[in-house]
Amino acid sequence: MSEPTSRPVPDTSPPPSSPSSPPSSPPPPPSPVALRVTDGPLAAPVLSRVVSMILARAACPLDRLDDALILCDAISAHAPAHARDGHLSFTLTTDTRALELRVTKLRTGGANGLIGDALLPDVGNVIERFSDSRRIESAGDGAGEELVLTLDFG
Amino acid sequence: MTPDMELSLPARAENIALVRHAFGALGETAAIDEQLLTDVRLAVTEACSNVVTHAYAGCDPGPLEVLATLLDDELTVIVRDEGPGIGPHPDSPGLGLGLPLIASLTESVRLGRDEHERTEVRMTFSLSDAPHDHRPTADENHRAHASPPRGSEDDGIDPAAAV
Repeated sequence: MSEPTSRPVPDTSPPPSSPSSPPSSPPPPPSPVALRVTDGPLAAPVLSRVVSMILARAACPLDRLDDALILCDAISAHAPAHARDGHLSFTLTTDTRALELRVTKLRTGGANGLIGDALLPDVGNVIERFSDSRRIESAGDGAGEELVLTLDFG
Repeated sequence: MTPDMELSLPARAENIALVRHAFGALGETAAIDEQLLTDVRLAVTEACSNVVTHAYAGCDPGPLEVLATLLDDELTVIVRDEGPGIGPHPDSPGLGLGLPLIASLTESVRLGRDEHERTEVRMTFSLSDAPHDHRPTADENHRAHASPPRGSEDDGIDPAAAV
């Protein structure tokens, strides 16, 4: 019986990375994104999809993604009563640690009205519960106001 | 006409997926035929890809706007940018099939500029014809519908050549 011959095994392992090469990093998140959608049944699914996509790209944890979607549903449900026209307008900005969801083109008093309407029995206020900060700003065009919500995940 | 859905975002490749997702939601909510929705998303993807690739070549990405309007069994989608306009790109890295593909997927497609001199691709899709029995060829589409967008003159651009 002949001895098994040993052959050199070609090295198929990837070459070691150069210590000077920078670590790969995800592409920058797609911000800011402005969304305007008619205040009918289109609002909730479109807003939810856009927010999901942005948060997924920003490596947001799943539990916070769930929170964001609940927030989107609450806003889509109640914002039409406080919008300046028949559309809901949003500006979405992300970095690696937080999402800023700005509900724009609300009537004067609409931001507080929107927060107040998001009260659910036995749950509490959905907007207050699932957002990490809230502030109200005057609209840039001087008409009405904007509700700025942040959701931290970093 | 106020669009039912309007997205404005930086013209970066990763944002095309975001637009596709938004149209997925639009299609499901409006109960658009699945095959037609596939066509819509493909055509919109091609139009957005053209913006990302060509509109701001050599400079920072500018805005990409996508507007969708549902009216009378018709979906109109406008993809808009602030680039120099649509023209031949002999050095394009692509196969040059983008606009012909869009023309073959849509009821009509018009290329031109809006009232603010922004470049736009205006696509219409018939919701009543779905599922498609006959789909006009790109050449038929262009002959039948190559008319200027609202508020502008016809740029005279052949979709088959402008890629």
